[in-house]
Amino acid sequence: MRRGAVEIRIGLGSCGVASGGEAVRDALVRAGATVKTVGCNGMCYREPLVEVVEADGRVATYANVTPEMARGIVRRHGWQAEPPAPPKHQHRIVLENCGIVDPLNIDDYLARDGYRALTMSPDEVIATISESGLRGRGGAGFPTGRKWALGRAQAGDVKYVICNGDEGDPGAFMDRLVLESDPHRVLEGLAIAAYAIGAAEGYLYIRAEYPLAVHHIRAAIREAAGRGLLGRLHLEVREGAGAFVCGEETALIQSLEGKRGMPKLRPPYPVERGFRGRPTVINNVETLACVPWIIRHGAGAFAALGTKSSRGTKVFALAGKINRGGLIEVPMGITIREVVEDIGGGIKNGRAFKAVQLGGPSGGCIPARLSDTPIDYDALAQTGAIMGSGGLVVLDDRDCMVDIARFFLKFTQAESCGKCTFCRIGTKRMLEILERLCEGKGRPDDLEKLETLADYVGRGSLCGLGQTAPNPVLTTLRYFREEYEAHLRERRCPAGRCPALIRYRVTDNCIGCTLCAQACPVGAIAYRPYEKHEVDDQLCTRCDMCRQACQDDAIEVL
Amino acid sequence: MMKTLIAGALVALCVAILVVDYAMATRQPFAARPAAEQKRVTAARLARKSRDNAVAWVLIAAAATFLTFAKGLVKPEKPSAPGEQDRQAKAPGPLRSATPPELDLSFVDQVVAKIGRGKEAGIPLLQAIQKHYRYLPDEALRRVCELTEITPAEIAGTSSFYGQFRRSPVGEHIVRVCHGTACHVSGARQITEELRRYLAIPDGEDTDAARMFTLDEVACLGCCSLAPVLMVDGHTAGKLTPATACDSLKVTA
Repeated sequence: MRRGAVEIRIGLGSCGVASGGEAVRDALVRAGATVKTVGCNGMCYREPLVEVVEADGRVATYANVTPEMARGIVRRHGWQAEPPAPPKHQHRIVLENCGIVDPLNIDDYLARDGYRALTMSPDEVIATISESGLRGRGGAGFPTGRKWALGRAQAGDVKYVICNGDEGDPGAFMDRLVLESDPHRVLEGLAIAAYAIGAAEGYLYIRAEYPLAVHHIRAAIREAAGRGLLGRLHLEVREGAGAFVCGEETALIQSLEGKRGMPKLRPPYPVERGFRGRPTVINNVETLACVPWIIRHGAGAFAALGTKSSRGTKVFALAGKINRGGLIEVPMGITIREVVEDIGGGIKNGRAFKAVQLGGPSGGCIPARLSDTPIDYDALAQTGAIMGSGGLVVLDDRDCMVDIARFFLKFTQAESCGKCTFCRIGTKRMLEILERLCEGKGRPDDLEKLETLADYVGRGSLCGLGQTAPNPVLTTLRYFREEYEAHLRERRCPAGRCPALIRYRVTDNCIGCTLCAQACPVGAIAYRPYEKHEVDDQLCTRCDMCRQACQDDAIEVL
Repeated sequence: MMKTLIAGALVALCVAILVVDYAMATRQPFAARPAAEQKRVTAARLARKSRDNAVAWVLIAAAATFLTFAKGLVKPEKPSAPGEQDRQAKAPGPLRSATPPELDLSFVDQVVAKIGRGKEAGIPLLQAIQKHYRYLPDEALRRVCELTEITPAEIAGTSSFYGQFRRSPVGEHIVRVCHGTACHVSGARQITEELRRYLAIPDGEDTDAARMFTLDEVACLGCCSLAPVLMVDGHTAGKLTPATACDSLKVTA
């Protein structure tokens, strides 16, 4: 080991493990290093990621590390290190410890001022949170301070706090990452919430699909309780059983009570009558992770960030057709373009930026021409999308918007709990229309019918799932109507995506290299070296593998 | 059984009538006859023709009935997909009887004692049972109802509501292909289709013939920046192409 290095960190969150991080860690250990296992720092696109901290505090980052590189890193540190990426636009509050602390070691968290936040009275806590302008990060954006004040004002000595970690929204993974990488932060937030409203019992409802997060949180509760840091608060973890609708607070409570997760009419709000009929405050993981920082640094520091109606920072999960996918934390008010181009590094393979899908199945698609829209609750609502939990999926010109709408409708239709007729049947009828359009079998009045149904479903549903289910359809209809028209009237998919509407043809660019014939899984391209190939339309399943395999751009979509 | 015999006999009778009629028609040569004689022969021929028409219809109906019932008698054989034979050779035994004949329910007793008997324990109990047996066997659910306050209706309600629970046996390994937004736009459909072909899983089913792999489409695995992603048992693999997706199954071997 070269002089000066004090710590070698390797990120082993779910994404680090999936990229082969465990083999790298073993190789580092074999090479004689003492390695600290941390969570993910958000740069998922560069996993496995190894960081070497020097005595003077400088951090050298090694990206996409292979087990073969590990030896070199240990023996000849300084070799091949990249300068750390400039934290352009980013401001880390929720993620401040992610990728730095060992999630299974409470001392690490304590060394970074953990569990020191509580020196005030409950009323002061609530006043501070209210003043900071923190709004619920789960999607709806309800002011957290007001929720806590309501919780505190409730009569009765049995109250509950619940941490909502049922992140079912496809495309969002910030809760997983925070729970995996910095579990004590969430526990501290939950403990502060419990203290503020006067609850002695708390639950963490976490998706079963996140086994590592569940494991880390359970370990963290044991450690924190063992040190007496949680006071008289009793915490318990419950695993979600795979129902998207359980992210809705009344459904979550039903699920905790052992019932089918079906939302209930509000009022009474959970804060009045929730879990077991008692006052219950439910907060999202990210909301709770903001709380210790606000208490430590003061409401003013948090309120100074962001815009007038949306204070502080927001974590986004960047994914899709983007060069640098991962988790970012930015102050509210930043524009979509800054996120996609400056932080995300633009579109993969140099293609054209078409739209971002924001907010998952409840959100919508914002076209590239509106990418100067600032990211705050109200500006986004005006575009028809929502902030949601912060999933931001970038789409390029090869993505069909009708297909995207169909994808989300299929999701909400499958996840509808079935309580409200409009959501149960309306989404089914909407999905049928979208599937018809994608197959080129649309009927002349289908678009009008879609709009009418969208209106009914939105107005006739009890909970957020149904009320927002039409959003992906409405926004794509609003911004990309010409694509719907092309599917409907010309039976054509402009993006070349819908399998029923496209054919592949080999152009004269073909050099007869047989790569496409080798790639074709169904043998629709005959193996004829040095001759122009041909695609057999009858056998072809439109899987696009030939086009991706072709080095000469010789396969076109008709 | 009886119906099959009757239909079979009817088929045989119809065929016999038709054969005889055909023989008679070909035996009578066309020859000059007296007018009266000719008239009688023509009338007889027309009568036979209409009778044969009717008999033919009866034959079709009887044959259809016969085939339908006969199919029920013979054991239905599954059409074998390519590549299935060698896998079947490796795993002999009946295809659909992965349930052990007698299930050891002592685990249910233990887990109920540990988690509790109240209604709130319902979902954690089902999760523990599924973790142990890898699906929810009916016998185990019945035992839960006997031991706890939970009613059969409630168990049926929750176990069918939540996506995590499976009421039928699964293959040895579960392959969860992510179909979240990022994976969808990065080609999750192609991954699933290729895996189905690779494992020779017939349409409408989710497990291959050797019951090694059960293929499951899930909403999101939360590794969106590595899309497309799949999870084999607990192991996640990312940045897949159809070819590497098939390779990723080998980690289980």
